[in-house]
Amino acid sequence: MKNRIIIFILFLLPASVWAQDAPVTKGFWDDPINHPMAPFYALMALVVLVTVLVFIVAIMLLQVLNTFVERAAKEKAAALGIEYKPEPSWWQKLDRKLTNAIPLEKEATIELDHNYDGIKELDNHLPPWWKWLFYGTIAWSVVYLIVYHVTDSVPLQQQEYENEVAMAEEQLRKIRAAEPVAAIDEATLSYTADAALISKGAVVFKNNCVSCHKEKGEGSIGPNLTDEYWLHGGSIQNVFTVVKNGVPEKGMIAWNAILKPEEIRDVSFFIMSLKGTNPPNAKAPQGAVWKEEVKVEGVQADSVKAQASL
Amino acid sequence: MELEKFSYDNKIVKAFIIATVVFGLVGMLVGLTAALQLVWPIFNFDLQYSTFGRIRPLHTNAIIFAFVGNAMFAGIYYSMQRLLKTRMFSDKLSWINFWGWQAIILAAAITLPLGLTTSKEYAELEWPIDIAITLIWVVFGINMIGTILRRREQHMYVAIWFYIATFVTVAVLHVVNSFEMPVNLFKSYSFYAGVQDALVQWWYGHNAVAFFLTTPFLGLMYYYLPKAANRPVYSYRLSIIHFWSLIFIYIWAGPHHLLYTSLPDWAQSLGTVFSIMLIAPSWGGMLNGLLTLRGAWDRVREDVVLKFFVVAVTAYGMATLEGPLLSLKNINAIAHFTDWIVAHVHVGGLGWNGFLIFGMLYWLVPKMWDTKIYSNKLANLHFWLGTLGIIFYALPMYISGVVQSLMWKEFTPEGFLVYKNFLETTVQILPLHMLRATGGALYLTGAIIMTYNLIKTAYAGKFIANEDAQAAPLTTASHGNTGWHAVLERKPIVFTTLALVAILIGGVIEMVPTFLIKSNVPTIASVKPYTPLELHGRDIYIREGCVNCHTQMVRPFRSETERYGEYSKSGEYIYDHPFLWGSKRTGPDLQRVGGKYGDSWHYYHMLDPGSVSAGTIMPAYPWLYEQLIDRDQTALKINALRTVGVPYAEGYEETANGDLDKQAARIVENLQMEGIEVMPDAEIIALIAYLQRLGTDIKVKDNTVSANQ
Repeated sequence: MKNRIIIFILFLLPASVWAQDAPVTKGFWDDPINHPMAPFYALMALVVLVTVLVFIVAIMLLQVLNTFVERAAKEKAAALGIEYKPEPSWWQKLDRKLTNAIPLEKEATIELDHNYDGIKELDNHLPPWWKWLFYGTIAWSVVYLIVYHVTDSVPLQQQEYENEVAMAEEQLRKIRAAEPVAAIDEATLSYTADAALISKGAVVFKNNCVSCHKEKGEGSIGPNLTDEYWLHGGSIQNVFTVVKNGVPEKGMIAWNAILKPEEIRDVSFFIMSLKGTNPPNAKAPQGAVWKEEVKVEGVQADSVKAQASL
Repeated sequence: MELEKFSYDNKIVKAFIIATVVFGLVGMLVGLTAALQLVWPIFNFDLQYSTFGRIRPLHTNAIIFAFVGNAMFAGIYYSMQRLLKTRMFSDKLSWINFWGWQAIILAAAITLPLGLTTSKEYAELEWPIDIAITLIWVVFGINMIGTILRRREQHMYVAIWFYIATFVTVAVLHVVNSFEMPVNLFKSYSFYAGVQDALVQWWYGHNAVAFFLTTPFLGLMYYYLPKAANRPVYSYRLSIIHFWSLIFIYIWAGPHHLLYTSLPDWAQSLGTVFSIMLIAPSWGGMLNGLLTLRGAWDRVREDVVLKFFVVAVTAYGMATLEGPLLSLKNINAIAHFTDWIVAHVHVGGLGWNGFLIFGMLYWLVPKMWDTKIYSNKLANLHFWLGTLGIIFYALPMYISGVVQSLMWKEFTPEGFLVYKNFLETTVQILPLHMLRATGGALYLTGAIIMTYNLIKTAYAGKFIANEDAQAAPLTTASHGNTGWHAVLERKPIVFTTLALVAILIGGVIEMVPTFLIKSNVPTIASVKPYTPLELHGRDIYIREGCVNCHTQMVRPFRSETERYGEYSKSGEYIYDHPFLWGSKRTGPDLQRVGGKYGDSWHYYHMLDPGSVSAGTIMPAYPWLYEQLIDRDQTALKINALRTVGVPYAEGYEETANGDLDKQAARIVENLQMEGIEVMPDAEIIALIAYLQRLGTDIKVKDNTVSANQ
């Protein structure tokens, strides 16, 4: 039922589709009354309502006014003893101007003498606006071909693509220059059981990794990430490197094109935190048992253990 | 002058009307099923014959050729006899036309679910059926031209011009696009490859819309609308101008289906400018229709036939403005490959074709059965259900198209895609797909009500099989109108020839250079023909209709190269007979999928897509694991492809199966390492081989060499 309501609202309010895109901020429809924008929306709804009402009243007033004007004109015509002819309406005048059509009552003058199974043909002028539309599109087309292919003033698709990429790179450079972030790479990385980072990593994992490694990291197409066996080493450096650069020959994607360095770190932390969780239906071990090297400092080893027992 | 007595053949019209209604219901029902599958894939009932990839071409073919096609014949056979004051040239040809056409439809209804398809949109039928279509179309043409030559009316009315244009152009389009090399009775390869195949296909596809769904229906409009409104046609000179400009310009516009692809820029630009120039000629038809109703608008309120016609002509006007706008590069960049195009097509199909047919049927049936419509109320109900159906169909699809496209293109400030996983964008639009199915259901309900109403009407009346008429014989003496066009209207053969010339020019100018000038498709040295196993895999890809949901065309946009990899080059497709660029991305592009995942990923994904991508709407393909490839076909495939220009060495067909086995063994071994046991001849192995090959040729090294260097 709830779904159906959502669908209905989606249909009425296309904007809400976008609102749903941002999963972090609460959507308007989750709690409409307390939403910070609620007074604004309510106000806008009121404005629209009032505008519509004003329009309706205005139209009614105009109609009343028209009746009076018409009556006056009729009386005048009667007084002068001539036949009353209503003024053509604004719409009729516009229509006449746009189509340049022969009025209905004079139609006989442009009727062709053919008769096809009872169908007669008039020979009205081409509607002027239509003619100018046609000329306009032809002129536009000539200009289009010239600017693209003769003067080369507008980039063609390959150039357009190169410009787009260059612009994006330029923008990125600016952002980096404005707020330099310490580079995250395997050389400087060390694992800490930081709950905040791990929970961020869990989200990344859910969105990108579960298709091969499954919900709990138990493995299916990809290897089991919860046991002690590793194909490419089980240190944080190893895991980070594999996520970053992938193992293309085995179908592991190089995620550095898709994930930000922080995200790769978070998801690697999350993977480290899975060790020993022993989920059901785990895939058989692959690779060799990985042992932390001796030089690992005590603090870190502890934190790994603490995490593992969670 | 002595009046001649003769009779009009209504029986053939009746037959076509029945076929129209029956296939209309079938086609819409199949469409509704396909719509439901795009939310709940289980609506394919786990049968290989009813997956979306096979049902979708069944829907389009049923609607275009069975529903609209039969309606076109019904409308033409009725109006042509009366406009030319003669019976059809030959009753025998009329019935060959009828039964031949129904046989073709039956063949399509059998072969498409079986997966026998060329994969070229709206031309999916295999080569024996293509030949049958050609023959029946020629029968129709002879019957039509014969009738025109035996007319008792000196001038040909504007509706007849449109019928003539329809006949000659569809003949040219069908024959040129269907050039193919048979492998066996049920399989062929397109004569053209890659970019050239794409150009020919969309020249055909676009003009199938123009000359199968538009020109015959403009002809029908010019007969049935003034008849129903009992008003003279608004402007004869508008008819002349818009007829000639329409058929001349339409034929050029095909490349707008290929904007931002590997088609050469000059051809794309021609597609754009001729689409824009098409606005006025198209609107000429709409204006002449709507302005014919001047002085009859009060009747539109009461007359349900006129109501249908008004909505039909308006929908035509909207679709023919929208089409050119979609041909602008910046709009196309958003709309192409999305639901927007589906919405656009259905405004034309449901609105223009559907409503014109409904109006025509409500007018024709009471006339031919000499009675009144059984229930005006039900007809009105049909009108409103249909109108609501169109709105409920189109609006959600417009929203869905824009939403998904913007999601595909959205970047974070750091330069990463916001929606990295394609599936996130699919899940977002599923509610809109549900609404679309609701719209389709409403429209179908209306059509069912119409069927009931028409049957009741027919039973209440008495069918007039042969309607008596009389007219003076044709005289050569000219009367009145002596303008140049009036002269032309008396010379059907000259007229037909001129129409043919008008529609040939655009196609020739666009196609010939693409075929002859090598720089239009720069070759890439590392691109090699498919291996035998990949060929089998590719044919399975074609059979399952993967191309209906997956494109193989990475456009030169940053959002696509980030998502998929290097954008597509024309030289990559030179061995693709047929091309498989696709026209809609319900799933992600596959041009660079080769090597992206391991073999086992594909193995599990085809077996149960949901287990790999939770929430996906892709159906499972379990039969690929049981069915075996037919190794005896390998040599035939190689030979056929060599004939159309793929450079397999002479005699390779003898040893091809050896290569096939080796490649299959490698994949089987890969899967074994993951604990998967599978037969090396299983279809899935061939499909994996093909998918892993896709787009990898240019990963070897970037060594683009222009052929004219």
